[in-house]
Parts: sequence; C-alpha cells; structure tokens
Amino acid sequence: MKILVCVKQVPDMESRFRPDADGVWYAETDLAFRVNEYDEYAIEQAVLLKEQLGGEPEITLLCVGPDRVVEAIKKGLAMGADRAVHVRDQASHLKDPFQIASIIAAYAKGEGFDLIFTGMQSLDRGSSQVGVGIAEMLGYPCATTVVGFEYADGTVTVKRELEGGVKGTVRLKTPALVTCQLGLNQPRYPTLPNIMKAKKKEVSVIPVEQLLQQDARLVMAQFRAPAKKGGGVVLEGDVADQVDRLIGILKDKTAVLR
Amino acid sequence: MAARIFKGAEFLITEPGKDEVFVPEDFSDEQRQIGATTEQFVTNEVIPAREEIEHQNFEKVVQLLRRCGELGLLMIDVPEEYGGLELDKATSMLAAEKISGSGSFSVAYAAHSGIGTLPLVYYGTEEQKARYLDKLTSGEWIAAYCLTEPDSGSDALGAKASATLSADGSHYLLNGTKQFTTNGSIADLYTVFAKVDKEYFTAFLVERTMEGVSVGPEEKKMGIKGSSTTQVILDDVKVPVANVLGEIGKGHKIAFNVLNIGRFKLGAAVTGSAKFALSDGVKYAVLRKQFGRTIASFGAIQEKLADMAAEIFASESLVYRLAGLIDNRLATIPKETPNYYDAYQKGIEEYAMECAIAKVFCSEMLAFVADQVVQIHGGYGFIQEYPAERYYRDERINRIFEGTNEINRLLIPGTLLTRALKGEIPLQREAMRALDSLTTPSFEELDDSIPFAAEKALLSGLKQLFLVVAGSAAQKYQAAIKDEQEVLMALADVVINVFAMESAVLRAEKILPRLSEAKRQAVTAAVRCFCFGANEKTASAARKAAFYSEEGDTLTILLGAVRRFTRYHAAGLLQDKRLLAQAVIEAEKYPF
Ligand SMILES: Cc1cc2nc3c(=O)[nH]c(=O)nc-3n(C[C@H](O)[C@H](O)[C@H](O)COP(=O)(O)OP(=O)(O)OC[C@H]3O[C@@H](n4cnc5c(N)ncnc54)[C@H](O)[C@@H]3O)c2cc1C
Repeated sequence: MKILVCVKQVPDMESRFRPDADGVWYAETDLAFRVNEYDEYAIEQAVLLKEQLGGEPEITLLCVGPDRVVEAIKKGLAMGADRAVHVRDQASHLKDPFQIASIIAAYAKGEGFDLIFTGMQSLDRGSSQVGVGIAEMLGYPCATTVVGFEYADGTVTVKRELEGGVKGTVRLKTPALVTCQLGLNQPRYPTLPNIMKAKKKEVSVIPVEQLLQQDARLVMAQFRAPAKKGGGVVLEGDVADQVDRLIGILKDKTAVLR
Repeated sequence: MAARIFKGAEFLITEPGKDEVFVPEDFSDEQRQIGATTEQFVTNEVIPAREEIEHQNFEKVVQLLRRCGELGLLMIDVPEEYGGLELDKATSMLAAEKISGSGSFSVAYAAHSGIGTLPLVYYGTEEQKARYLDKLTSGEWIAAYCLTEPDSGSDALGAKASATLSADGSHYLLNGTKQFTTNGSIADLYTVFAKVDKEYFTAFLVERTMEGVSVGPEEKKMGIKGSSTTQVILDDVKVPVANVLGEIGKGHKIAFNVLNIGRFKLGAAVTGSAKFALSDGVKYAVLRKQFGRTIASFGAIQEKLADMAAEIFASESLVYRLAGLIDNRLATIPKETPNYYDAYQKGIEEYAMECAIAKVFCSEMLAFVADQVVQIHGGYGFIQEYPAERYYRDERINRIFEGTNEINRLLIPGTLLTRALKGEIPLQREAMRALDSLTTPSFEELDDSIPFAAEKALLSGLKQLFLVVAGSAAQKYQAAIKDEQEVLMALADVVINVFAMESAVLRAEKILPRLSEAKRQAVTAAVRCFCFGANEKTASAARKAAFYSEEGDTLTILLGAVRRFTRYHAAGLLQDKRLLAQAVIEAEKYPF
C-alpha cells in the first residue's frame, strides 16, 4: 500500500500578523512556523494505519513551500512517515488552492497512491479546497472533515462531521482521499530516537516549475487588518440611572426590545 | 572551519569573537524538535498533573518519568551502544530548559537523568552498564545520588558512611545515613558515596531491594514539594564488589565531575523556569488594571519586565555558550579512544569554573525574576492560587543544592588560581601586564562602526580590572588567599558578571544580521540594559575587593582602576528599557 500525506507549514496562530510589502498576504518577519494542525491529524492517521497493517504501507509526505518547510517535513518524518517530497516553491503563498491542488495532483498522478490524507483546511488560508481539488483531479473518491477512520480490505470507512453536531458514516473504495478534522486522533509527539532517525530518511526536492501547469483562478486582492470597531460605551454613575440608559440604548439602537 | 578550542577560564585573558560562541539561534531542526517534544510533553502531560504531583503523588511522578523514557528524554546523555542517543550538551541543556516548566517534576527528572544516571554512564564497567543502564533509560528504574549526610553537606568528603570489605572479599558492608536524597523514596538504584576503611572515598551502586537499605520519611520542604527528598539509611547493606563504581578511593572524582554537569544543567533549567515565570508575570500585567489602566502601562512595572528579559537573555546566552565550549572540546575526542570517558571527563572538568559560574549566575537570575513576578502580582503574588507564589518557593533551593552558591563562588577564583599556579593559563603574566598598563593613560576611542563597540570596550576593561584586583590580592596574600573568603567572593562576582556580559554581547552580535529590525532593536536594548546593571555590580564587587584587601597607595591605585575600567556610557538607557518592555508586552512572554 502506498500512502500520501499532504502537509503545509503555517505560522503560529498566536502571532501578531502584519500585511506584507505588497499588501496581499502576511509578512513572514518574526513569525514562528509549524505543521498545520489538521495536517498533524493526517500524518497521525497515516502512521496509525501503517501500524495497523504491520508496517507494510509506505508513507510519503509531501509539502509545497519555501526552504523553511524542511522543518515541517522533518517533523512528519519523525512522526513516522518513510520518505518525503519537498516541492520547492518560494512563492507558494501567492498560489491559489486550485494551483496547489494541481501541483500535488501532478506529482501524485504517476505514483499510484492508494490513500491520500490531507488536513481539512490550513490554519492560515482556510480554503478547504486543496484536498477535494486533488481528489477531483486524480479521479479519487473523497470524504471531507473526517473525525473517525477505519480501514479493512481496500475499504475505508469514515465518520464525517456534519452540520449541527450530526455525524455521517461514509464508505470509500481505495484509491481514495480523506481530509482530516480535529477530533480524529491525538497526534503523537515525535520521540527523540525518531527525531534522530528522521535525519537519515530520504527527502526528494522537486522544483515547483516541474509540476505547475495551471494558472491561478483566484487572486488575493488585498490583505489587511479589519477596521477597528468603535470603542464601547461604559455606563457609570447611579445603578438605577444606568439601567434606564441601557434600556434607552437597547430601544434606540437595537431590535431587542422592539 | 575547525572551532577554536578555548581553555577553561581563558575568556578572561582573550577576546573571543562572535563566531566562536554557540547561541540558541544556532539550533538545528532536530534540536528544535527535541525542544518541541519536551515542551509538548510538559504542557500535555505534566502540567495537568501538577497539583497531584505537588501533593506528593509519587506514583504519578514515576509514571511520568517512564513516559520520559518512552519519549527518549532519559537517553540524551547515554552512549549509543547502551541504547542511548549520546546527543551533545546543547541538546541536553535544551531538554533541561524545556522540562523546567513542570516545577517539581523537573527536579525528579534532573536527579534521575543527571546525577542519578551519569555516574554509571561515565564510570560504570561494561558489565555494570549492561546490568543497569537499560533500566534507567527506560524509566523502569529510577535513580538517585547519595552524597550528602546529616553532618557533611558542603564538606562532602567528610562523609561518615563506611564500607568494609567482607572477609571472603565478595562484598562490602555499607553503613551510614545519607541526607536529602532527591528521588529517595522512588528510586531503585542509588549511587552511594562511602569511605572504605574510613579513608578511601568510593562510590557504590546500591539497589533499593538490597537488605538493610531503608528510606526515611519525606522531608517537609519550602518548595519543590512534588519531588521526593528523604534520608537513605544503610544498615549493614551487603553490596557485591561488582557494584563498586569506579576505583576505590576515587569517589571524589565521580562526585565532583558529575556535579560539574549538574551545575551547568541547573543553569539551563532555571533559565527555563525564569521564562515561564516572566510569561506569567507579563500576562498578569497586561490584564490587571489599576487607576483605569493596565499595570503594564506603568513605567515601574515596565522596568521590571525589561530587567527580567535582559537577565534571562544573558542567562540563556551564558548557558548555551558554555554548552558550545564543552561540545567543541568533547568533539575533538575520538570515540575509539580507549579511555574515552576519562578524556571526556577531563574535557568537562576543563570548564569547572564556567559550570560554577552558570550555577551561581543563573540561579540568582531566577531568584530575581521570581521575586519580581511576585511583586507584579501584588497581593495575588502572595496567594497560592496564582503561580507566582510557587515560583518564589521553588526557586529557593537552586541557590543551595548542587553546591551552595557560596561554595560555587569560592570555586571560581579557587580554580583560577590553581590553574594559574599549574601554569595552565598565564594569569600572573597578564596580571603584571595589566598592572603596568595602569600607569599609561588610555586613549580609547570607540569605533562606532563595530556593533556593541562600547560594550566590548567595557568588557576588555573589566577583564583588565579583574587581573589588576585579583593580581594584587594574590600578591598580597599568596597561598593564604584561600582564607580570605570575602575577597574571593567579590572576585568571583567580577568573573561571573564578565562572563555573563560577554556571552550576551557576543550572542547579540552574532545574531543581529539574521534579525528583523524590531528584534534587532529589542536585542540591542537587552544587551545594553544588562550590561548597565552587570557593570554596576562588577564595579561594586571590584571596589569591595579593593577595600577588603588593600590600603594606602595601592588602594588608591585600585580604586582608580575601578573608576577607569567601569566607565560605561549608558545614554538612552530609559528608552532601551521601555523598548524592551514593549517587546515583552507584545509577545506576552520572554521575547527572544
Ligand atoms: C531539596 C533538596 C534536595 C537535595 N538533593 C540532594 C541529592 O539528591 N543528593 C545529595 O547528595 N544531596 C542533596 N541535597 C543536599 C544539598 O546538596 C546540600 O544541602 C548542600 O550541598 C548544602 O549542604 P548542607 O545542607 O549540609 O549545608 P552546609 O554545608 O552546612 O552549609 C551551611 C551554610 O554554610 C556555608 N558553607 C559551608 N561550608 C562553607 C565553606 N567552606 N566556606 C564558606 N561557606 C560555607 C554554605 O554555603 C551554607 O550557606 C539536597 C538538598 C535539598 C534541600
């Protein structure tokens, strides 16, 4: 069995973001990067499956991005992926989800992966389109927002998270693609021996130009901080008076008391 | 490029360059990942159990130590042939730093993986390692180190515990009481120091289940309450001769060499604790409002935030610089060397003085930080519901164990003078030169094109000052200087501050080109704030040493030297502090 896991490196979401010089994305200055959280569920699920199948499947990790993503790749390898592909792209942040999906699909086409795991979305762009895009381009069935995963004899059974807390069960025949959601599993942290062993695993580098065949269909027009909301009103003074004023405001400015 | 291998204490008579120091910004991806794994382990598994641990649920401690075993956190310093990873000291320090957020647990971890395991690693025979090391690196067995006794703490070699060879020569009979053993009640293997025939100080590997071994009640402690501290009582314990560790009569080597690493690691651990404490302090400061504004907006609080960040920056710079010094030296020893660990020990011993510096500087840095964090919390800092109170209690022990800060301070000039007498570093010659140069006026002009020109000029001056003051004291007292502890302590303070300042300056100079403008400004501010404070302390210590040891003309000359060499023009100090405070406030934690 051949498994592909697609991972992206994203900034720590607790960082302070500022627009870049062109105002179309965030500036990377002073940001700390890590593996996209949803992609960690993807890696973990792939490794769990490998363990379930006695170590037979080969897990390939794929990451599109600039040089800094090597750290994310190494983490995936330390978690248990066998080899990695780094699609080197210094400007991956300017590509739209369709292009990213097409890049990955172009790589995966000839490789005959039985299962592809991706995150449900990336924490920074949040389009949720890359996974489904890859599936479409490869002609794979696809299940999104997966919170439960089972595999037996070429059939994948997943639990999907639907609206309003409802869950659905879906069966897919491999080859297939699933996008992983929070709650699917508890990603392991790599052990020290595995971190050191990962150093020796193969990472092939492919320049993005070799795989990019599509033009962007979406262009980021502007990236800026939301306009500051007006300051709140603090009512002070006598409580009875405050209550009257509050009722007045609710009547005048909201629909609550109408 | 082969790294220049510095001798221990050599920094006092040379000017190392920025590319000759290791800095945390040099960590490899693997090292950073090891840091991240450690951090996640602490956040996800230890912190949720902290209350339980503080209430002495030692089963939980053992369970978590075994988790450390699974994660590989107990094999960092263990050779590969015994299932270890044998990573460098920088990595070992990083793990110690990251685990420190767990409070008491980190003490159990440090005692097990450090003073508990290392004697066996460094001095064990093949057979002893085969017997025990696996059990220790997996956490199946917990280790402890029993040096201190009720009547011998600092004077460790004054131990009374005795070992007597049996008539048939098969075993030693051990008797005595060991005091304050960390992990005492949870350990399975104790490294016990006892005297053979009341004379030959020797280490023994003692198993918990050996007949006659018993453990006293838990000590009721001020802090680190979640770590076990007990007496270990040896009552006619039959220890097979195969369990003698190292050579008979060479126990002091084991005891002290392991302490070198222990002191150094303590430096790393307290640096981590200080980061946690600062983080809680600033988070509170940006939330707490008084007079209609956050207390973080007050200059008095900002100054604390800035000073803490500056001190931690120096502490961190010092610890990893020392890691680099040791790693570079150890890397020159071929693994095939027959007595690899002898050479290895010598490599570490070379930096005994720097290890003592790390111990003292970093533990006192944490004392300062913990105190400031309590103060930022006001009354809530005094209340157990808030973390500040625990930081304050837990901090205290670091100035006492692994050699009290007095003992470590004394060791600094002590080591230096011994090495000078042995001719290992030309201290005397340099001191004479420094004294001569006092009569020539100085025409230093700062070359502003060099980063940190003022700080570097200050450092080279402070080294001169040390040589002058120490040189004249040495000349006056000769060998009897060892009895002038007040003078020695003051001299130690000069050395400690010089090493810390230099570490901060060199690190900043090295990383500046890699930083964003904002970070560059913050780092520069941290260096200046730190150098200002440390220089004031150095000046005071040097003056003290002068007044203590000299009078008349010599005193006047020395005081002149203090004035001349401690000049540091800290224009813009207030702006620097405010800028640094802003960086802390923006990050809501230690910003570097
Ligand atoms: C919580 C805890 C855990 C510990 N864990 C361990 C452990 O795992 N293993 C172990 O072996 N020990 C351990 N210790 C013991 C610790 O290392 C000693 O307490 C320490 O070395 C000091 O010894 P002492 O308590 O006997 O103090 P003393 O040596 O009596 O010192 C008292 C005071 O006198 C000063 N002093 C002593 N001698 C001199 C001198 N020559 N010149 C100037 N000043 C001097 C000291 O600095 C100190 O201020 C632990 C202690 C504690 C409290």
